[in-house]
Amino acid sequence: MDRMPGRGPASLRRRWPVFGLIVLLALCLSLAGCGNQGKKENGNILRFYTWKPNQPEVWEEIVKIFEAEHPGVKVWREIGPHSSTSFHDLLAQKLKNRSKDLDVFLMDVVWPAEFAAAGWALALDDRFRKADRSRFFANTIQANTYGGKIYGVPLYIDAGMLYYRRDLLAKHHFKPPETWPELVRQAAVITAGERGIYGFSGQFKQYEGLVCNMMEYVMANKGCLVNPRQGKPGLAEPPAREAVLFVRDHLIGNAAPAGALAYEEPESLALFVQGKAVFHRNWPYAWEAANDPARSRVAGKTGVAPLPAFPGGKSHAALGGWQLGISPYSENKDLAWDFVRFLTSDRIQKHLALKAGLAPTRKDLYDDREILAACPQFKEMKGVFVSAAPRPVSPLYPALSNIMQRYFSRAISGAGAGIDQESRLASEEMEKILTLAP
Amino acid sequence: MTILTRNMHGLSPRRRRERLFAAALLFPCFAFVALFAFYPIVHSLYLSLHRIILGLPGLAQPFVYLENYRQLWGDSVARHALTNTILFVAVSTTCELFLGLAMALTINRSFRGRGLIRAAVLIPWAIPTVVASQMWRFINNDHYGFLNYLLFGNDLASYQAWLADPSFAMVAIMVADIWKTSAFAALIILAGLQTIPDELYEAARLDGATAWQQFARITLPLIKPALLIALLFRTMDAFRVFDLVFVMTQGGPADATNVLQFYGYKKMFAEGLLGYGATVSVLVFLIVLGLSLVYVRFLGGEMREEKP
Repeated sequence: MDRMPGRGPASLRRRWPVFGLIVLLALCLSLAGCGNQGKKENGNILRFYTWKPNQPEVWEEIVKIFEAEHPGVKVWREIGPHSSTSFHDLLAQKLKNRSKDLDVFLMDVVWPAEFAAAGWALALDDRFRKADRSRFFANTIQANTYGGKIYGVPLYIDAGMLYYRRDLLAKHHFKPPETWPELVRQAAVITAGERGIYGFSGQFKQYEGLVCNMMEYVMANKGCLVNPRQGKPGLAEPPAREAVLFVRDHLIGNAAPAGALAYEEPESLALFVQGKAVFHRNWPYAWEAANDPARSRVAGKTGVAPLPAFPGGKSHAALGGWQLGISPYSENKDLAWDFVRFLTSDRIQKHLALKAGLAPTRKDLYDDREILAACPQFKEMKGVFVSAAPRPVSPLYPALSNIMQRYFSRAISGAGAGIDQESRLASEEMEKILTLAP
Repeated sequence: MTILTRNMHGLSPRRRRERLFAAALLFPCFAFVALFAFYPIVHSLYLSLHRIILGLPGLAQPFVYLENYRQLWGDSVARHALTNTILFVAVSTTCELFLGLAMALTINRSFRGRGLIRAAVLIPWAIPTVVASQMWRFINNDHYGFLNYLLFGNDLASYQAWLADPSFAMVAIMVADIWKTSAFAALIILAGLQTIPDELYEAARLDGATAWQQFARITLPLIKPALLIALLFRTMDAFRVFDLVFVMTQGGPADATNVLQFYGYKKMFAEGLLGYGATVSVLVFLIVLGLSLVYVRFLGGEMREEKP
């Protein structure tokens, strides 16, 4: 400052109101910009948060039907990440900040408890009547109920299934395996005679899908993740530990490639549709993908069956599927409900079944001739849907899930301090969470 | 600001106006920093002293003193994440400095096409991290990844699932980081190199100094400040590594790539433990602050030595 030449400050002094004006102007402009953005929202735009669907064109069609039936209404689809965990984080961020720019969103089957407790999903009791609810699978309605209120409408149901190569099994006169050891034996025989093929592919990356996959092994061995009656974690009990050991020793790096430790659904499905896996665990959508000649080398050679059990146990499928929820901060709740009712109606669920292979949540549709003709697999799958088991229900489920993901990932990749100690630690951590929110 | 407006009584009207003017000019900048840097830091501190669980609004937001910090102290997963982070920082910044130095020395020489090479070196740094991470995820893929093809050609049976291997996944992330940010170190070191006058080398050559002697006695001492600045930036940046992990491995397999920032993110956004997640962020902030204070002391010393 001291060394400023004499002319500088004087000329600046004369100009500084000008500077001030410019700064003020800039501020006003930027504020006005924000204001404009806010004003763009009007009554006729519905914002629907969804992930990238496998058949985007089907969703476009459906949205067009809705827009045609509701003149002047525009549905904006905001496409989030494919991974359920990342999609959850995106929604959580929006809803936590009470964002007004989402009206309807997809919910994974494990979220309603959390969304309900946090006030992120609107209770739908006065719109979604009891009589209408009875038309859906009971377990999907249960999954959307928390504290006696309902927070979502089931759009489609998912459950873990076993896909297999009909041609290869027939070649060796095998029937679809009923136990996991049998599957491993069959896989060993078949892969010994073929080139470049693995026995099994499933989802074993450290993410939510790992919990679904592992829950199926654990329950098929008469174990549990959380005991529904006592509310205690069951990871450290012998049935759960045995099932995890089986996956570590007989699947990862043996029947399944070691790379399965980094697989989510797309990678594991890719292996199967390229004809590089005999058996494959996936959700119902995989049927369409595997039987589409344009995308699959095993079209027409694929069979589907309930997942195997362990000797003495019973087959269990993880209940998956997606629900539609409405944001309590939406300024368009009535229109949002119209959209939800539309998407979950008989005709649209049928459309989604026929065009995208998504399994309806409405029970009656499983008697629909047209659907059964187009999707014969649903006949086999219906029994699995009815009995599919939910993951632990808790508003703190994401925390429970992270503990389980970490434990399972460490256990099946052989990292960490051994299954006995790791499972005990994971159980203790889960118990801490469970006592916070019973 | 306060320094500028303090003790204004004894000043001449002109000086006083000058100071006011300076303050007015500085105000927007100060307001910006306050809004986007100080406020979030203070708010994180506030959050870290409370128990806030998004999934359980019924708990309200009780003030729990240092309970979150106590829990963090005994949190074995966090400790594991800290070890992972430190390992990542140590290995990747060291490699980046050496590689950056080598690159800077190369592109500092004059040769044909130097402009092109200089631009090419910067490309990895210019690619958004998320895109680069996605690219490295593909490179490491077990079935169609380039790395396997490079190593094993058509021998499909030996293909490795790099990111599924707990001991290699971290290496893959370090490699991606080194590939991406060595150019940044190179850029800063290059700036240092260009301030060295040619006369020094000329004199050294006349005195019969070897190339190594020139490097060790002239180049290295003179680019030390630049090296330190590069080190400072890279360490601070590496400590906050998040996007590479988020895209490439999500912390897996078996938590082998779980770093502190990602752990904090998961606690906050996936599990909804806002208070605890903020505690992890504050820890990262304190570590980075401590590190930068140490470096700045160092740097300050270096700078003072430079002056006379």
